Amino acid sequence: MEAKDLYIKPGNQERGWNDPPQFSYGLQTAAQGAPKRTPLNKRVPPPQLTGSPCPVPGDVPSLTAPMTPPTNPLAPPCSMNTPPRPCPVAAPPLGGVMMMATPPPPFPVVEHTDSASSQSENEPDVDDVVTLLNWALTACRHTVKKQVCNDVAKRLKLFEDMWKSGKLSLPVRRRMNGLVQELKSCNWDAADEIHRALIVDHVNEVGQWMVGVKRLIAETRNLNPDLLHTQEVDQSLDTSSTGNSD
Amino acid sequence: MREWRVAMATYQEFIQQNEDRDGVRFSWNLWPSSRLEATRLVVPVSCLFTPLKERPDLPPVQYEPVLCSRANCKAVLNPLCQVDYRAKIWACNFCFQRNPFPPSYAGISDVNQPAELMPQFSTIEYIVQRGPPNPLIFLYVVDTCLEEEDLQALKESLQMSLSLLPPNALVGLITFGRMVQVHELSCEGIAKSYVFRGTKELSSKQIQEMLGLTNPSATGPQGRPAAPQDPAVTCRFLQPVHKVDMNLTDLLGELQRDPWPVPQGKRPLRSTGIALSIAVGLLEGTFPNTGARVMMFMGGPPTQGPGMVVGDELKTPIRSWHDITKDNARHLKKATKYYDALANRAASNGHSIDIYACALDQTGLLEMKCLSNLTGGHIAMGDSFNTSLFKQTFQRVFSKDHNGEFRMAFGGTLEVSTSRELKVSGAIGPCVSLNAKGPCISENEVGVGGTTQWKICSLSPSTTLALYFEVVNQHNAPIPQGGRGAVQFVTQYQHSNTQRRIRVTTVARNWADAQSQIQHIESSFDQEASAVIMARLGVFRAESEEGPDVLRWLDRQLIRLFMFHLRRSPFLQVFNNSPDECSYYRHHFVCQNLTQSLIMIQPILYSYSFHGPPEPVLLDSGSILPDRILLMDTFFQLVIYHGETIAQWRKAGYQEQPEYENFKHLLVAPVDDAQEILQTRFPMPRYIDTEHGGSQARFLLSKVNPSQTHNNLYSWGQETGAPILTDDVSLQVFMDHLKKLAVSSAA
Repeated sequence: MEAKDLYIKPGNQERGWNDPPQFSYGLQTAAQGAPKRTPLNKRVPPPQLTGSPCPVPGDVPSLTAPMTPPTNPLAPPCSMNTPPRPCPVAAPPLGGVMMMATPPPPFPVVEHTDSASSQSENEPDVDDVVTLLNWALTACRHTVKKQVCNDVAKRLKLFEDMWKSGKLSLPVRRRMNGLVQELKSCNWDAADEIHRALIVDHVNEVGQWMVGVKRLIAETRNLNPDLLHTQEVDQSLDTSSTGNSD
Repeated sequence: MREWRVAMATYQEFIQQNEDRDGVRFSWNLWPSSRLEATRLVVPVSCLFTPLKERPDLPPVQYEPVLCSRANCKAVLNPLCQVDYRAKIWACNFCFQRNPFPPSYAGISDVNQPAELMPQFSTIEYIVQRGPPNPLIFLYVVDTCLEEEDLQALKESLQMSLSLLPPNALVGLITFGRMVQVHELSCEGIAKSYVFRGTKELSSKQIQEMLGLTNPSATGPQGRPAAPQDPAVTCRFLQPVHKVDMNLTDLLGELQRDPWPVPQGKRPLRSTGIALSIAVGLLEGTFPNTGARVMMFMGGPPTQGPGMVVGDELKTPIRSWHDITKDNARHLKKATKYYDALANRAASNGHSIDIYACALDQTGLLEMKCLSNLTGGHIAMGDSFNTSLFKQTFQRVFSKDHNGEFRMAFGGTLEVSTSRELKVSGAIGPCVSLNAKGPCISENEVGVGGTTQWKICSLSPSTTLALYFEVVNQHNAPIPQGGRGAVQFVTQYQHSNTQRRIRVTTVARNWADAQSQIQHIESSFDQEASAVIMARLGVFRAESEEGPDVLRWLDRQLIRLFMFHLRRSPFLQVFNNSPDECSYYRHHFVCQNLTQSLIMIQPILYSYSFHGPPEPVLLDSGSILPDRILLMDTFFQLVIYHGETIAQWRKAGYQEQPEYENFKHLLVAPVDDAQEILQTRFPMPRYIDTEHGGSQARFLLSKVNPSQTHNNLYSWGQETGAPILTDDVSLQVFMDHLKKLAVSSAA
């Protein structure tokens, strides 16, 4: 999973009151099972009446007592309208790094952009991707029911058409390229995971055809491996995308 | 006092270790040895138990558990049992029956112990074979009376979910509006569906007949009767997702809004009651006693047929608390009874029902909550299906643990055994009674009582039951030296990978004589667990009795118990929330584990400033300062509140300037911490970013400002003689009260 695929979008404030932000599939799966950086689970007992401390299970104030505040050149001045003064010394102030429980996360909170202008040098080639998909489909045609293969082919065609007419965003194109590479290397679980991430993160773009890719992965992984290896990728160029659908 | 504090600190460790290993938190960790003394302690001997607590370090064993041979015992071999390795005999610690080991245990010795006898395996999990593995079933019941945007978003979420389901699961689709349609999922040809009127109540048998499920001449290939183990052959409505995913994706994509036109001033006709009855009947007839989830998605209240919650005239609003207290809620009793009956049927078949309700107004969760409460299903409540709150909550139903396995479990049963000085009064949580009679049942019922076995149709690693016990030893009965009482929890369930498993937890605590050891008993008190245990009892009573009575009961307890936050919480403070909101909050409160439940009663507040690292602060208006950012977690909401000065700086844009990078970091810090919570919490909470003077600041202010709350309570005509609790009652005062109570002769 690339860093670009770990992102957070704002929620839909138009439709949902105080809608929470939306995490990409990659971020959500990364979080599961991983321990929290800074569990926010401490409470402060109310002020004592009798003077003797009351130990409370789970509240251990000594663990969370703040450090003695350093003489902080950034302490807000008494005038409310004056902004925090920068540190007069060249080195960053002590408070600058210690203010949070941990440093900011390694990935930025990025607004997910779909603009065509975000094309980079590694713009995947649609024909390469389609070729690989058809290579897998052709292999399936030996044993998998004709109807199923045709249904898959129909969806692959839709995918290809959407790509060629510019309806698919760069992340989708890029990740589909990654998916077919995994398929080519017989990394079925990895390919499956990419399909899942794509349908979670971009359901409105991929919802109509991704199930065909899903099925393709599922059927291809069950094939006799010999069947796949006899289908050299180069050979499948003869049975190009237009030839497979009937 | 110092020794008492030291003892408390030690108990903290003991309590935590036990929770980590066994998923159990007891109210008291030293048990008073007589019944009389136990009742004086006000909080009963009780516990919170998380049957499927995540134990990544616990490898399951692949053999059957060894059971006590006494017919009315059947306890499982555990580390508390005495073993004679020479004679290959073990003594049950609950009934003292001597049992021979099975032949496969011939090789055991005290240096070659089976895992289940080792103390570190006080919790152990067995994988057992119980016939062919049954597939999991997911039946979608979808409201089509939605706005176009909402329907589109819901369709996409359902299409997406087909990629998230366990690959061999069976899936089905029922759509409803004015009519109810059961869709045939076949791999070829034109999609067919069976249409039912939304107003006519049908029996389970009639539904099955109309769907062609009881046809005695149903045959498989070659004209032979279909094999009984393969209902998938005969059931065209519930098919393996890996076979029908493409067709179902198309089918979902083509779903239209309910075609019945909705006149001005009217609500759409929604036949939710019949739709659910058909779903329950379909599963009952085809897959009884298999793990199944009905997932119901609705965008508004039921407006026709049995189970209707409100009529279709918009000028008649859906019932409010005011209507309910004035006995002016026409459909309430009948609808609640209807859904209660459905819920019980589903539960007895081991099927769970989730409700995903997305609408700006109430949808009838008050009437329908039993569907989820009794079966362990989820309730999600949002404003629209086109929101992150719904989409991510729904995605997280299919979340996986670090082993890549689904977190959901099905078809659970819990059986509790106790040593004879203890009896079981009942349980409160997402369960139904299995009405199992036995020697450990107390006559005093608390919650779901009169049994030592319950059914929990759907479980997650956080599902937690509160269990209430009664000490039955008579006063002056001698305690054996070093005597301990024991409780065993046996949870049988279907894992998401379809394996059948049995998890056994056996725990023990020392008996203590309350006369001579009251200080020790007090030091063993777990106030966090007790708070949640008593709160569950309060909520249970609030659900089954009149609201004001519960508050009066709580007030009486409050003379003795520190329930300050509970009293102000949305669980009992009904009047600031709609009936549906209350049902939603209460549902989660009685399902969740201790940590999450505590957050709900007493929200967590952290303060961020230039003065040091983030620190927890008092849930008090005094914690709101101009140069601080506050992060409040109420479980259902995450609130980031910027103090006045911070807000001004933010508005002026100082965070954009490079020399004020530390201010930028300060602004980001609570956001990052909130995001960590948001990444995993189920259900997704609301996220509120507000500041001094902001309209949303009320979410923080209402939690920290006590005088407002008290005024609201008393404005509802409560008797003015009720004791007034102030914020100044500290936990220390509470502990003092408890001590005085325990040592005094007055009960």
